Amino acid sequence: MKPKSYSNPYLAGILLGLTLLASYLILGAGLGASAGIARAGAFCELAIAPARTLASQYFGGWGTHPLHYYLVFMLVGVFCGGLVSALLSDRCVVMVERGAGCSPFKRLLFSLVGGLVVGFASRLANGCTSGQALSGSAVLLTGSLLFLVSVFLGGYATAWFVRRQWND
Amino acid sequence: MINTFFNSGSLDSPAAFLASFLIGIAFGVALECAGFGSSRRLAGIFYFRDMAVLKVMFTAVIVAMLGVSYAKSFGWVTLDNVYFLHTLYAAQIVGGLIFGVGFVMGGWCPGTAAVGVASGKIDALVFLAGAVGGSILYNEFYPVVAPLTANDRGVVFGFESLGVSEAGFAFFFTLIAVGCFWGAEFIERKRAGATNGYWNSRFLKVFSSVLVIGAFGLFAAQTRPGAAHAEGAVSEESLLADIQGGADHFGAQELADRLMGGDASIMLVDIRTPEEYSGFHVRTAINIQVSDLPERLALRKNQGVIVLYSNGMTHPAQARDSLTRLGFRNVFQLTDGLQGFLDTCLRPVSLHDGPVSPALAAKIRAWREFFLSTPVASPAKTSILTSAEPLPAEVETGWLAQKLGREDLKLIDLRSQPEYNGGHILGAQSLNIESLRGNVNGLPSMLLPARLLAEHFSLLGLRPDDSIVVIWGDKIQDATLFGLACERLGHQRYAILRGGYSKWLSEKRPQDTRLPIVTATRYPVPEKSDDFTVGAKDVLAAIGKPGTVILDVRPADFFTGKKRDEARGGHVPGAFNRSFSDDVTKGEQFSTLKPVPELAEAYSRLIPMKGSPVIVHCRTGHQASQTYFVLTRLLGYTRVRWYDAGWTEWAARSELPVVSEVQPPTK
Repeated sequence: MKPKSYSNPYLAGILLGLTLLASYLILGAGLGASAGIARAGAFCELAIAPARTLASQYFGGWGTHPLHYYLVFMLVGVFCGGLVSALLSDRCVVMVERGAGCSPFKRLLFSLVGGLVVGFASRLANGCTSGQALSGSAVLLTGSLLFLVSVFLGGYATAWFVRRQWND
Repeated sequence: MINTFFNSGSLDSPAAFLASFLIGIAFGVALECAGFGSSRRLAGIFYFRDMAVLKVMFTAVIVAMLGVSYAKSFGWVTLDNVYFLHTLYAAQIVGGLIFGVGFVMGGWCPGTAAVGVASGKIDALVFLAGAVGGSILYNEFYPVVAPLTANDRGVVFGFESLGVSEAGFAFFFTLIAVGCFWGAEFIERKRAGATNGYWNSRFLKVFSSVLVIGAFGLFAAQTRPGAAHAEGAVSEESLLADIQGGADHFGAQELADRLMGGDASIMLVDIRTPEEYSGFHVRTAINIQVSDLPERLALRKNQGVIVLYSNGMTHPAQARDSLTRLGFRNVFQLTDGLQGFLDTCLRPVSLHDGPVSPALAAKIRAWREFFLSTPVASPAKTSILTSAEPLPAEVETGWLAQKLGREDLKLIDLRSQPEYNGGHILGAQSLNIESLRGNVNGLPSMLLPARLLAEHFSLLGLRPDDSIVVIWGDKIQDATLFGLACERLGHQRYAILRGGYSKWLSEKRPQDTRLPIVTATRYPVPEKSDDFTVGAKDVLAAIGKPGTVILDVRPADFFTGKKRDEARGGHVPGAFNRSFSDDVTKGEQFSTLKPVPELAEAYSRLIPMKGSPVIVHCRTGHQASQTYFVLTRLLGYTRVRWYDAGWTEWAARSELPVVSEVQPPTK
């Protein structure tokens, strides 16, 4: 089946904005994704080296049940919402997304390294595109707006070097 | 104000988890509909091929910004009920730059990668695995990068940083967004030759107009009189507008109602001289001199509501304007000052000129009751101690002298037995406080379980409706630990003698040397265990939880780790230190707890709200019982808990995290 075309980006943006507004008014906090990933990281490290993890300064503060956190549940919701929407619009296809001129291995290597860097950076900045750039900027926080600008500066500075993964 | 999960401190409840999950679903659907389940589309923005990221993100930011801004101007959203991320310049700028590199390399960010996995993208799965690894890496390298996160500026808004009005900033931001939308459409048309774009479309024109008009409306909403209860302003124009609209005032009746209702978000500040303050002040007010205001109020900046008053209106108004220029957006002056408050709220109904409605008359009676009686200074006037009569947390020696001999008044003297034998207050029974503590499950010096405490109370002839006054020698914490034994048994009617036995003696009040005649009772054992004692597990779970305060009341040298009696020195990560002895004034003849306003002021700097979760601990639970008493009985904090096992247990269990400012000796 041919996948349906994407929504009008502005309408999708309005839906996203209203979701964020609901998050502020109901939870009293913005959206977040990287915290859920970091909690999973703490969970993994706890499973491997519990004493070391609990004694560490950053993960140690999350105690023995790091997954007992609202943003973990939000991340699970994001996956479920994405799955429902992708299935309904026939966009769920198992594949490695890349340019035709790029090998799957190279693309996956870039994904892995990119993931490592993003995982690290979102802990340093205490948030990612969801928590800082989107939620923080929407309430006009100085640090979040600076983060948003910095992300695009970093991205545009690097884009030329990694362009080949999208070459067709 | 909306009672959000954050506001009620229940973000870790099952209901909040369900709400987060549902919000997550909407989040996921929005991202997927936008096409963010595709890394090619996400990365497109960095090559000016596909500007969807900019369109979706900026639309969402502006829509949510308008929603939150209107909610703020209606007072629905404040700094109290919403968790705003703090600004840390170095961490966010460096973090953002690195993040951008990873974003363009991986083609994903955390939220979109979750949607990517749901869309079957293997590269998204690999990216997520990398991000989990990156988080672990951060934890491992935390000691190295932590300096970048050291300079926490707190909650800072962009309009504050630039010194402009909030509405102006939001309006300008909206204009930038609309400009970006048109720019993005133009780029797509030129570069990618897209024919199905929205350039110059009717849709984009209408959409742009709606956003701009919506943002323009904020100017009206945010200068609405009364709107400023949640929101202040920093520009001179809006300062003047506040004054003209009366938005800098706080009404006497609203203040009286909220203070009487125990609203802990209000801080009432008396800016008169200390002499005038000690003569009379509105109950709950603290005394701060005008020149000290910025420093003493720093921790309450934009947290809750600060109301200033003096005899007249000039000084509070000038102070309020000055604080507003310093960025305080939560300071108000009491309408018509102290005199106005007395006239409006506390003048007896019989002295009012015109007719007073029955509803207002009832309120005035309630206000007079609340504001004109002070708990310690004027003890109960009725002569019989019935359980309907409130027992103050601390009783004065004079009060006790009048009540001696009443059948339901029981006196427990915690001094050493030789001291007791040498002379005690008529009818007092001697008790060694250590007999109420012992080894429980391997933990030494634990307050005994309720069953054993009830046995002790039975032998002392105590009954559940007795009023117990605790007399102490040189340690107030003896009396407060006895108080916790009472609370474990659900016995709320206890008070401690202000100044202890030394004050009684210094006033040359009568002593007695006879032993009282006591008949044992059978004190009931409560069915449920108490709700204020916590263990190491609960302290561990509280670490790093926003809004929760862990308070270590040991002397500072033990807190820092400079001195230690245990295997490990230092403190629980994130704990605050206020030594129990800081709450005590040592006089020549006797010691007392410091005056309530002074304590209230000190703790308001440490604990954000009266309802904030607090855990107090020391080494054995003894000193912390005093802080527990101060917080719950004198200051009205409602969610204080007590980690009895304290540092004795924490230091001994090597798996529990410790922060020490002193390097441990090398092995």
